[in-house]
Amino acid sequence: MDGYAGKMVYADLSARKVTIKPTPMELKKQYLGGRGFGIRLLTDMVDPKIDPLSDKNVVVYAAGPLTGTGIPLGSRYEVSTISPLTGTAMSANSGGVFGWKMKKAGFDAVVVTGKAKKPVYLLLDNGKAELRDAAHLWGKTTGQTTDAIMEELKDDKVRVSCIGPAGEKLVLFACIINEKARAAGRGGVGAVMGSKNLKAIAARGDLPIKAADEAQLNVVKDRVRKKIEENGIEKALHNYGTAVLINIINENYVLPTRNFQTAHFPNAEKVSGETIAKTILKKPKGCFACIVQCGRVHEFDGESGEGPEYEPDWAFGPDCGIDDLKAVARANNICNEYGLDAISAPATIACLMEMAEKGYVKHPIRFGDAKGMLKLVEQIAKREDIGNELAEGSFRFATKYGHPEFSMSSKKQELPAYDPRGIQGYGLATATSVRGGDHVYGYMISPEVLGAPEKLDPYVTKGKPQWVKTFQDLTASIDASGMCLFSSFALDAQDYADLLTATTGMKIDPAELLKIGERIWNLQKLYNIKRGLGRKDDTLPARLLNEPLKEGAPTGQVWKRDEMLDEYYTLRGWDAEGTPTKEKRKELGLA
Amino acid sequence: MKVHVKAFATFREVMDSQFDMDFPKGATIHTLLAELTGKFEGLGELMFAAPGTLRDFVNILKNGRNVHFLAGLDTPLDDGDVIALFPPVAGG
Ligand code: SF4
Repeated sequence: MDGYAGKMVYADLSARKVTIKPTPMELKKQYLGGRGFGIRLLTDMVDPKIDPLSDKNVVVYAAGPLTGTGIPLGSRYEVSTISPLTGTAMSANSGGVFGWKMKKAGFDAVVVTGKAKKPVYLLLDNGKAELRDAAHLWGKTTGQTTDAIMEELKDDKVRVSCIGPAGEKLVLFACIINEKARAAGRGGVGAVMGSKNLKAIAARGDLPIKAADEAQLNVVKDRVRKKIEENGIEKALHNYGTAVLINIINENYVLPTRNFQTAHFPNAEKVSGETIAKTILKKPKGCFACIVQCGRVHEFDGESGEGPEYEPDWAFGPDCGIDDLKAVARANNICNEYGLDAISAPATIACLMEMAEKGYVKHPIRFGDAKGMLKLVEQIAKREDIGNELAEGSFRFATKYGHPEFSMSSKKQELPAYDPRGIQGYGLATATSVRGGDHVYGYMISPEVLGAPEKLDPYVTKGKPQWVKTFQDLTASIDASGMCLFSSFALDAQDYADLLTATTGMKIDPAELLKIGERIWNLQKLYNIKRGLGRKDDTLPARLLNEPLKEGAPTGQVWKRDEMLDEYYTLRGWDAEGTPTKEKRKELGLA
Repeated sequence: MKVHVKAFATFREVMDSQFDMDFPKGATIHTLLAELTGKFEGLGELMFAAPGTLRDFVNILKNGRNVHFLAGLDTPLDDGDVIALFPPVAGG
């Protein structure tokens, strides 16, 4: 017993056939699970020349060895595919209980190939797997789909991860939703499911998940639980949710506002985590085995749902110039119901708002128009009217109208809720992210703004490339392990290594842990290069390099790419183009 | 001189969320915190690990700049300053 379920499902949709095979030992050793499994399998199986929305793409669902083992915050699964939005090797991470259920059903991973003639869903059922008809589910929202599958199987314990209408309509940033509100959000993973006529994966079962050394695991579990409980950060997450960040990021003058035109939103308080707690919050909610419970269940005016998390709260709020919390929560619910990435959707709307206000696109929407924003979200999900153009993401949209500079994206994926001009290392992390504009592939906000594990001056570039590399590698291994990234506010590499060693029986020390992460990172990078990406793509929108911030402490700052990129490449063992050298590939076993 | 103080997240559970304070010339962040911890019960415990040492991940901003990169608790207060006080917070 080693924390793994021990088996993987290969579902060939074109042949309507499923095959079950053991999880290979080599894969566990080199890639752990989760994102590692997904990226390795994907890059082995998919020709880099393919169209991501063709039947040649592959979708991998994978949990990690720590998923569902009862370790606090061990709740995660990853969905990996070639992104139709960025063209990169993508992985998107989700929590809730689905990852645990997948393993209870007997599987570490699901590899989906081909395209079904008619809509299907895959049922993972106590060691077996079966493709079932889903024509009756096509067109349904994620909530309706989840309820319909539970009803059909007469089982309220089955857990469902599915796409909504946006995925069916191939919105390039459609997401996958499990348990109605937890999202594998980014990169259009839902569109790839839609392109395969795969509506959902459902999982149920009661198979054991056992660690190699249960006694030792209990000792480490107690230690990490204590660390998490004693770390004040987790208390704020529990009481105020992730949107607790709205105020602190705003007070630092790095909260992107009105499509990154400024970095301070005077009405931020109205959409803050503190205001959510005082107004629409019904109760906190957590993923499997989580003692933090950063999720929000809300209720207002007869509407109920979950969230908003910090990112959508910012994107529908300050980035669209909107301070109406209920409209933000409503918009977030529409994203969950239709299966839209709640970062890219609002950020694309913010792009339209700026272009419309400046006269580059004829449209009545303006910053601050909550009603208009809500209408646009539905239009995108349904690809109606201008929504059909916005469904391609801000980069393609702005380019179509001749002004790509209004797209606040990197590698065509919309940037998250921090202005890199006032946070230099974060800017480097997002510009070099192997999945495009992103914050969770190396969360430099933690040291540069929040002060954990130590306070780094956000305006300084010196020393940042090394921090970025370490954070990126560590995050890749956390994503492979099945732990929630928020655990890293309290835990360090030694903790993860000890958890993995006790669970898997493989001897993993912090150096090995980082090596696994580095291997995953480089593998994604190498694949992206084969898809034509290079140094030119490791950058941010021109606005962030050229237009200085105009308010508050970071006034005058721009993002300083040139001071960091070469050093970062060198530290990574990459050449000046950002290509991993032969020696580096050999060192990582990627030759 | 007048200083505007703002408190966030769990600090709001023990103190007002924002207000003005008057200080004589020469006052520092340290002066301000001493006054606040005297005034609001429970704040000292949330803020300090030991006398004069802030708890890990507590952040104090002076007009948007973390005082850690100025002169720490010795950072002087100036008329019209906005001082923002954050307990450990995180998200993503
Ligand atoms: S910290 Fe939040 S996101 Fe992470 S496992 Fe817990 S509830 Fe889920």
